[in-house]
Amino acid sequence: MTLNQLIWKSLKKNLSNYYLYVFALIFSVALFFAFVTMNSSPDTGAAKETTTGSVGLTLASIVLTVIVTVFLLYANRIFIKRRSKEIGLFQLIGMTKRQVFRVLSMEHFLLYFGAMVVGIGFGFLTSRLLELVLLNVTGQEGLATLSFSMKALLQTILFFSVVYGLIMLSNALYIRKRNILDLFQVRSKSEGKRVSVIETIMGIFGLVLIGTGYYVSSIMFRGDMVRVELLFGIMLFILATVILGTYLFYKGSVSFLGNLIRKQKAGYLHVREVLSLSSILFRMKSNALMLTVITTVSALAISLLSLSYITYYSAEETAMQRVAGDFAFLEKAPADTFTAMLEENGIAYERNNIDIVKANINVKDIVQAEGDFNFNPDEMLATVISDEDVEIDVAPDETVFSGTNDLMSQIMSLKNTGEIAFEEVGTKQLTGTQDEYYVSNIFTSGGLPTAVVDQETFERLNENKDPELQWTSSLQVTVNMEDSSKVTEANKLFEELPEGELPQFSRIKQETDQKQSLGLTLFIIGFLGLTFLITSGCILYFKQMDESEDERSNYTILRKIGYTRNDLLQGIRLKQLFNFGIPLAVGLLHSYFAVKSGWFIFGTELWTPMLIVMGLYALFYSIFGVLSIQYYKKVIRESL
Amino acid sequence: MSLLEATKIHKSYGNKFTKQEVLKGIDLTIEKGEFVSIMGASGSGKTTLLNVLSSIDQVSQGSIRIGDTEITAKKEKALAEFRKHHLGFIFQEYNLLDTLTVKENILLPLSIAKMSKKAAQKQFEGIAKDLGIEDIAGKYPSEISGGQKQRTSAARAFIHEPSIIFADEPTGALDSKSASDLLNKLSDLNSKREATIAMVTHDPVAASYSSRVIFIKDGQMYTQLHKGDQTREMFLKDIMTTQGVLGGVHHDA
Ligand SMILES: Nc1ncnc2c1ncn2[C@@H]1O[C@H](COP(=O)(O)OP(=O)(O)OP(=O)(O)O)[C@@H](O)[C@H]1O
Ligand SMILES: [Mg+2]
Repeated sequence: MTLNQLIWKSLKKNLSNYYLYVFALIFSVALFFAFVTMNSSPDTGAAKETTTGSVGLTLASIVLTVIVTVFLLYANRIFIKRRSKEIGLFQLIGMTKRQVFRVLSMEHFLLYFGAMVVGIGFGFLTSRLLELVLLNVTGQEGLATLSFSMKALLQTILFFSVVYGLIMLSNALYIRKRNILDLFQVRSKSEGKRVSVIETIMGIFGLVLIGTGYYVSSIMFRGDMVRVELLFGIMLFILATVILGTYLFYKGSVSFLGNLIRKQKAGYLHVREVLSLSSILFRMKSNALMLTVITTVSALAISLLSLSYITYYSAEETAMQRVAGDFAFLEKAPADTFTAMLEENGIAYERNNIDIVKANINVKDIVQAEGDFNFNPDEMLATVISDEDVEIDVAPDETVFSGTNDLMSQIMSLKNTGEIAFEEVGTKQLTGTQDEYYVSNIFTSGGLPTAVVDQETFERLNENKDPELQWTSSLQVTVNMEDSSKVTEANKLFEELPEGELPQFSRIKQETDQKQSLGLTLFIIGFLGLTFLITSGCILYFKQMDESEDERSNYTILRKIGYTRNDLLQGIRLKQLFNFGIPLAVGLLHSYFAVKSGWFIFGTELWTPMLIVMGLYALFYSIFGVLSIQYYKKVIRESL
Repeated sequence: MSLLEATKIHKSYGNKFTKQEVLKGIDLTIEKGEFVSIMGASGSGKTTLLNVLSSIDQVSQGSIRIGDTEITAKKEKALAEFRKHHLGFIFQEYNLLDTLTVKENILLPLSIAKMSKKAAQKQFEGIAKDLGIEDIAGKYPSEISGGQKQRTSAARAFIHEPSIIFADEPTGALDSKSASDLLNKLSDLNSKREATIAMVTHDPVAASYSSRVIFIKDGQMYTQLHKGDQTREMFLKDIMTTQGVLGGVHHDA
């Protein structure tokens, strides 16, 4: 048999081994190609002109390149491990290592570049879809005009050729480093070393590192620490401590705890533990590394997705704060013109005038924690409105705060009830806090609460007001559409209005402006986050497939001895709970701290968008867990 | 009533086109407390026979009864339950779990029987001493020799004192001393605890420990020898003569 025939034969025989690898390849190529196509498209060109846009895109390309490279190298590693016995056999019958390497490289070459063609096709389709999504998200009209880009094609081919080179290099090293005996035993060797003292220290040290990272992240935006030139270094420090800490934590504590349980069982293991505990400990070295990678990637993905969703989500919220109604005016005249136009066009509306007074209040009593920002609780400049202008009822000696948000409570946290004092009208009882916005934030210095008081108090305040504190306008006219579907139509009329002396607002315009200016960055981040999600899920799934194949003979033995498929599946579920659950939980925790440290730069709402992202992430991620259990089911079924 | 009764069992491998009949209508009964050896040329179907008798594989035709259980009619779950409690195996390939230490491998059948940890430990000590594997209890299968693996595998088959033990070449990888230790252990179990044993072997010496030897040729029973009142040496001579007549096994005998 010539070498070529051998290559062809082994390629055909190994197709089942290859399919995972082929999938990984097609997926990566498609992803990469879609990304570079988008990157070189004229539609995104405009956004690239801005510095943040181009820096973002460059950064994103780097991250994507790294992730794809790692992912492919990993898939290749699993794949070559699968075939280590065959490689050993080739050598046993007298082939040199060089010849074996040639066979492998040829085989790979055919497959790799075949998959690339398919991947590029998929990638092109994906990029069109992505662009449609992008246009939709940013609220731009228009059709996807993406065309096949030669430049993107060349970039993709170049990049994947380099990765091919790396893979070959890694294979060459693999073959070179191992003698025939190693190759035959690759699957049956235990990775566990039983040194418990060092492990404990390592585990504790890992926890300390993680704690340090968390702590630094929580104080990095504190007034006394914010030094922009240091920020990048601080972030790197946090990243390094947390990642290293996670690795040590897995390596140390997990195997320490595991071995402790095992020792305590004195060799008397239930089948559940055989398939979970001992299987995990058996591969602890590669598991610790993989769990760390998954945790890091998940944490990155969740943080990126949360931050971008916070931004997107806050766009609406921000528009809501900026503009207290569908439309808002600061003088009577333009509002009159506008309502007249609405009437002409037969659009039903509701008009609402709110008189506004600015006054200093003493909130010392309800300040919860001394803020880090320059803020004097004795004299907080508040916006005051009357309860008659809005639809709530406030007693004469009481007041209600409205228009609070997460961002403000981050900067200074106030209690919901307590005593506050007006300079002009004395003490009032604060009875509650609402997040409704009655007043556009042009009045409220960017989000300080608005005090709602009784009509009579309001009049007294109005008479005694300090002219120094008042703003140019003390009136807000909001115009709301009765039928919310008419807002777009009304907005067209709004655009026709002449510019007034004072600004006039349209909420829907604010929102689209905001989304458009953020759109691209947001989209790229979202895209990367999604990539990370899929990649981490795939890596885990591949690893589980690999393990299940390794353990196939174990299932055979156990079933021969008399354990049923259900007995085995119990253990498998436990193992999956560990393999998927632990990195997810730790990743969620990491990303919680990451997001919490700097979310207020991105938007005004923390909890809702973050929890939504985390929930969805966990959901999609679990799909991979379910898939791998399905795979195990199949292997177990076939094992007898 | 006999403990095991197999009637007209057939077993074929492959699909319609590549069909190969390995067992061609074998009838076999094993009495309770018997120690039976099965001999035959390589590829004659010994392992296959053992597999179908022990419910690991299904027959194509025929019926097998163990005790009052007709195992050819049973569902997989019930069969698993049956194996768990009543059968012990020593396989031709050692069949140890790579992920477990020697001790954990051996104790595996006990964990389902809900035996107390203390009793399990005692049981383990006894059997490990008998088979000389106390020193390797904490090692992984990849760290021990072929013979040690085989003894581990045997210990696992004995530990829950099953009513019938199936052994496929249990002495294949052992030197003559360890082999006779293992065989003595088997006969001990057989005589003292009345454990029924079915053992496949190529080695006439090993076969001479049993009370009956069945010869398989071309998927059918060729002949059988009873030990009766003979000494082991005389029985061994008999076996070797028959083996010579049967032919084809000398190369590994
Ligand atoms: N799973 C299988 N699929 C197809 N054919 C099989 C299978 N298992 C065994 N055979 C065939 O059945 C025949 C008998 O095999 P078996 O393993 O029972 O032999 P044996 O008597 O145990 O041999 P040895 O002494 O070498 O172990 C052989 O020809 C073998 O090729
Ligand atoms: Mg055999």
